Amino acid sequence: MWRHGYDLSKETALKSGTLYPLLMRLSEQGLLESRWQEPERSGLPPRHVYRLTATGLALARDQELEAVAAERAGALA
Amino acid sequence: MNASPSRFRRLAVTLARHAARVLPGAPSSWAQAMRHELDYIADDSAALRWAFGCMLASYKARFVHRPRFSLRAAWRQVATSGALMLLIGLALQEHAGGQTEPPRPAFDETTCDLPGVSPEISPRLRCGTVSVPRNYDRPDAGRFRLAVVVIKSEQQPSWPEPVVYISGGPGQPLTVYAAHQARAPYAPRRDLILVDQRGTGKSEPSLCPDLGSKLLEAALAFAASATEEAFATRQATYLACRDQAIGRGLDLRDFGTRVTAEDLEWVRKALQIERWNVYGESYGTTVAMTLAALHPDTVRTVVLDSIYPPDPVPLWSTIVNDARDAFFASCVRDNVCSTSYPDLAETYRETLARLDQKPLLVTVPPQMRQPDDRVMLTASLFEAVVANLLYYPTAYPNLPRVIQVVHDGEPQGLGQVLGPVLAAQLAAAAIQNRATNAAVECRDRPHYRQDLPAGAHGLDRRQLYGVCARWSDLGPSPLIPVGTRVPILVLAGQFDPVARPASSRHVADLIGSSTRFVEFPLVGHNVRQLSPCGAKIAADFIDHPAQELDTSCTDRAAPIPFLPKRQ
Repeated sequence: MWRHGYDLSKETALKSGTLYPLLMRLSEQGLLESRWQEPERSGLPPRHVYRLTATGLALARDQELEAVAAERAGALA
Repeated sequence: MNASPSRFRRLAVTLARHAARVLPGAPSSWAQAMRHELDYIADDSAALRWAFGCMLASYKARFVHRPRFSLRAAWRQVATSGALMLLIGLALQEHAGGQTEPPRPAFDETTCDLPGVSPEISPRLRCGTVSVPRNYDRPDAGRFRLAVVVIKSEQQPSWPEPVVYISGGPGQPLTVYAAHQARAPYAPRRDLILVDQRGTGKSEPSLCPDLGSKLLEAALAFAASATEEAFATRQATYLACRDQAIGRGLDLRDFGTRVTAEDLEWVRKALQIERWNVYGESYGTTVAMTLAALHPDTVRTVVLDSIYPPDPVPLWSTIVNDARDAFFASCVRDNVCSTSYPDLAETYRETLARLDQKPLLVTVPPQMRQPDDRVMLTASLFEAVVANLLYYPTAYPNLPRVIQVVHDGEPQGLGQVLGPVLAAQLAAAAIQNRATNAAVECRDRPHYRQDLPAGAHGLDRRQLYGVCARWSDLGPSPLIPVGTRVPILVLAGQFDPVARPASSRHVADLIGSSTRFVEFPLVGHNVRQLSPCGAKIAADFIDHPAQELDTSCTDRAAPIPFLPKRQ
């Protein structure tokens, strides 16, 4: 699912100054892919969209599961 | 407070432009992305906040790209926690987007069904499969099961961080050689991982497994692909396989080095290996470099043995010519060789001219299943035979004699000397999956999208020119880990008919200062398999990548024990 930078910023509550370095970093690591999307209407520039690569997705799932596992371990202790 | 919204907007645009100027050179599309996004933010004050953030982002990127900047480590910590949050956020959105969850990496252990495994080796083997996504961008597109063998080190406990060996081709099977690999470990104290790449060996999919023998039949029947007719037959044989594969529901875009590298990364996760040492040989070096470029954090060391040169490549025939000339020069310097074969280079040229005039019928062993047990030896086929012999030092002592025997054209000598050579080459060629070879190469290699280039030779006609443009689209390019911090060792053989040592050195230089280059005299393609000295240097490097390499054994290469002229 392709996402715009501004939407991501709103949804993750990360300001652009934090968001873009992260996007660049994820992209450098091959976890995120980006492409240019045609303008939504004339007079507007093309827009960059992002989504996780399969590797990014798998890593995210791993991290998510680790977080859940850590929580459970904490609850059992 | 009295500023009008349009002044906010103007300021925002100015800041965004400034951000674009500050951002370091390479990721200029990012600067544009930030600037363009501004036009989609309706609220002017939000736009200004956005632009201000973009400027901060650019400054951060600039600082992070500057080596040894003192804030770098601190920033990385902040970025890591933020990246984690963003990753999870993006993943949740993917999930909300209704995509099927990809299979999780898992190793399904099975019993081992491998040839030649002795009772001593058997307890060291773990066999199984790992299901990988056919297409990593489309988790719903199904899976391929890959065959995986883990060979425990002879001495237990194994050292951490095993070796993954990536073999050549593309299209060569690997797990079938597990017994051999167990006896010749890369780093004796470490476990060894073998994976049949997708479309090879026991891994899915099975891609026209009979293509190799069909091509060989065509090559032999048509006297080695030298004619236009043979070239057309060869193309048609490939394209029939392509149609058959598509008819079986396969997507030929699901091949290529990039996806093979992701498969290995998936296998690494399935085996719960934190980091591994990557040993690439021949085409395997292409996969190894791509893997190191995509996943540098999980690669401890890389050995690139006999680098398959990246595009753009010279015509294969020109590389073979260089290797052959180097070999002939070594004959001149050797007493036995130069006495028996005073001008081997000239004898070879004469042989080709004679075969061009009049091809020879050679008696071959019955297992080659040729009509009347005979093969028509043309100049083109003979060139290919000699090129293949240059791969293996074990063939070097016999090579001048093979050339002389064909030159003299005496039938008994041909049968006795050349027959077994042809049989061995046929057996080796039959093992490689030619369809997978095309499937990978056609995704990776732009030069095969052309028809035969000018100056192409008989040897070049055996390659994939004229096939790839009709086989599949070009895929994402294989990668070179330029500037990586992963320690890399490059091994090159003097007579390598696939990669000139100079081109391997060039790749080593491209990667940069983390790379060491060692050239081995009197060795062909695949240094480690052929040279105990190479095996020792590779093992030392894998175990102690930070130490100074002792390469002194390369100076003590034994001379080639040339066989004198046949009486």
